[in-house]
Amino acid sequence: MYNVAEVNAEECVAQKGCRLCIMYCPEANCIQMDTTKMVATIVESRCKGCELCVVVCDAAKHNAIKMVAR
Amino acid sequence: MGKKIQINKEFVDIMPQDYLDLVETGTFETPNRGWKDFGTATELIAEHSLCAGCPESIAFRHIMASIPNPEDTVMVGSTGCTSLVFPMIAVHNIHSLFGNQNAIATGLKRALAVRFPDRVKDVIVLAGDGATVDIGLDMTLQSWFRKERFTTICFDNELYANTGGQESGLMQKGFLAKMAPVGKKFEKVRLPEIARESGCDYVAIMTASKPSLVEKVIKQAVLIAREVGPTYIQIYTPCILEIGKQSMEGLQEMRTSEAPGERFKFREFISPEAQSFLDGLAEKKKAEKLATSGATS
Ligand SMILES: Cc1ncc(C[n+]2csc(CCOP(=O)(O)OP(=O)(O)O)c2C)c(N)n1
Ligand code: SF4
Ligand code: SF4
Ligand code: SF4
Ligand SMILES: [Mg+2]
Repeated sequence: MYNVAEVNAEECVAQKGCRLCIMYCPEANCIQMDTTKMVATIVESRCKGCELCVVVCDAAKHNAIKMVAR
Repeated sequence: MGKKIQINKEFVDIMPQDYLDLVETGTFETPNRGWKDFGTATELIAEHSLCAGCPESIAFRHIMASIPNPEDTVMVGSTGCTSLVFPMIAVHNIHSLFGNQNAIATGLKRALAVRFPDRVKDVIVLAGDGATVDIGLDMTLQSWFRKERFTTICFDNELYANTGGQESGLMQKGFLAKMAPVGKKFEKVRLPEIARESGCDYVAIMTASKPSLVEKVIKQAVLIAREVGPTYIQIYTPCILEIGKQSMEGLQEMRTSEAPGERFKFREFISPEAQSFLDGLAEKKKAEKLATSGATS
């Protein structure tokens, strides 16, 4: 079992310009911008489960990411 | 799709999707590339085996997004955790023998000038603190004394991470590590000051906590190395594994260490020659802006 990040599209404020998780995820090409829905999207196969995206999203009080088991 | 980076038509049907994405949306030949491309353009790094949450990965992403001309850049790496990333980047690179990176870069920069006299080729060294300050110190300093025109980036995690936590010249005094149980007896080597005194025209010490600052520093360092003289950037990329931090704590560790009075508070040294070069660039940008706004109004 692995932990991976999951974005709740309802809570994500990327349409207002937030890119925090995309900026700080240590893995390249791992959090992508869905430019039609304007939400951050996790590429699960590249996620190492570090939880840094949760930390930066929560610190900005968006609380849009949680870790889920796979 | 850029002119210099193209895919051979015969191979299109057999290449993996990641490769096709890179050719299609990688930011080669893109003026003003930077971290703002994250999330929409394909980054120039593929999956690698650094630990989950490792700040070296964060810094590597920011650097690869910022180098001004990736299609005309050759990077030189050395042994250490960074060497786990080099095989996965989409920029030409050479793995040097541990510590030899600045000697290799010297020869490379000169050879590129002979081989491509009409093209600008940037050389960037990226190595750990053990490679830069301990085993490679001779090569590091000699390249600066000779004013070799390339950029040296040191990923300073204050120990030998890849071999399990031995003492390094950049480790803090008194620090205990798994393979350095007595505690370091000497001060952290002041390499930024040594770099300034040894001939570097641009020196910066920082952490990887702010992508926009990393971008600005990398661009300045590469352009100054191209036109003026050697440049040196020391970035704190804490080894969360060896300092006992959780995978999500690397960013906070960098922020704490760059607070006023702390050892990684952002500092920059710019020689007068480099400063007038940067002023010239700023002037040019201003003039261009004026010209375009004049054209549209
Ligand atoms: C010539 C040579 N000597 C020693 C080693 C063993 N070695 C491998 S990685 C390493 C330490 C790397 O430390 P650093 O440069 O700080 O990089 P880090 O892993 O901390 O990022 C050493 C001593 C080697 N590979 N080659
Ligand atoms: S940090 Fe949170 S709110 Fe911001 S883009 Fe990422 S998921 Fe959305
Ligand atoms: S858990 Fe870590 S690797 Fe996964 S998306 Fe979040 S920041 Fe990236
Ligand atoms: S050992 Fe340390 S420096 Fe190396 S990948 Fe892991 S966290 Fe990063
Ligand atoms: Mg090190």
